[in-house]
Amino acid sequence: MAQKRIKKELLDLGKDPPTNCSAGPVGDDLFQWQATILGPTDSPYAQGVFFLTINFPTDYPFKPPKVAFTTRIYHPNINSNGSICLDILRSQWSPALTISKVLLSICSLLTDPNPDDPLVPEIARIYKTDRDKYYKVAREWTQKYAQ
Amino acid sequence: MSADSSTSSPKTEGQAPNEDDQQHGTYECNICLETANDPVVSMCGHLFCWPCLHQWLETRPNRQTCPVCKAGISKDKVIPIYGRGNPNPQDPREKLPPRPAGQRSEPESSNPFHNFGLGGDGNFQFSFGIGAFPFGIFASTLNFNDGRPGQPPPNSPQQAEEQFLSKVFLWVAIIFIFWLLIA
Repeated sequence: MAQKRIKKELLDLGKDPPTNCSAGPVGDDLFQWQATILGPTDSPYAQGVFFLTINFPTDYPFKPPKVAFTTRIYHPNINSNGSICLDILRSQWSPALTISKVLLSICSLLTDPNPDDPLVPEIARIYKTDRDKYYKVAREWTQKYAQ
Repeated sequence: MSADSSTSSPKTEGQAPNEDDQQHGTYECNICLETANDPVVSMCGHLFCWPCLHQWLETRPNRQTCPVCKAGISKDKVIPIYGRGNPNPQDPREKLPPRPAGQRSEPESSNPFHNFGLGGDGNFQFSFGIGAFPFGIFASTLNFNDGRPGQPPPNSPQQAEEQFLSKVFLWVAIIFIFWLLIA
């Protein structure tokens, strides 16, 4: 079931790829993917290329895939390990979601951080109190790690 | 021209797989993304294979929501879809997990007498009883005097009681009709 569904998603990604995102298996293992996200233009991550790893559980799509950034990123909801705090990757997962939709959600999280549910409280605090500083540091990190 | 039309008919038959392809998007299970197998539809209109949906409901028994729109969903609230033309018909109940059975509700009747005596329409019964009261009693009393079959044996206490009651009601009815005429 999981393998069939992952193959189907791969096929759909080829047919109708989401804007600014790409994803595919690493090597022969269908359960291990790598994805890239181009930083949204209306964010401090513009012109950055961010790499992510995707691990599918064996009971996918009934359990969410494990998605993490491998490129360092300055964001209130993404920590230094690359872990992403996003509800659809945890409690709000639904088997009707696809990798394509998850990547789009991550893109919109980059544009609109959620400082009220932070993974890195310090970045969330700066985002809330000093937006200019957040923009500056995020842009610096993008230039340093994602270009 | 006639030769053309004869060659075109096998062509249209050959297009059947294409039509099949077009239908895939509409009838795909929202979980496995394949054409739904043992299909069921939720109250919110989302299509699933029953085995897929069953597994999702088992994954989260405490908070069962539609995978597509997060509406409430449960085993009892999905409708199986029975199509025609399955080349290998198989009873879905023989498969595991069993697909919930279809529920057949009685059609609503426009005739209010349909429910009479079932207690389905209490208000109606009440008003009907009052309206027919004197005439109904009168008729049943007359019938009783005709001596139709199926009555209690003569000289039994039951018969005496019924006779007494019928006489009482006869007088009540006569008085009521008189009162109606005078008033």
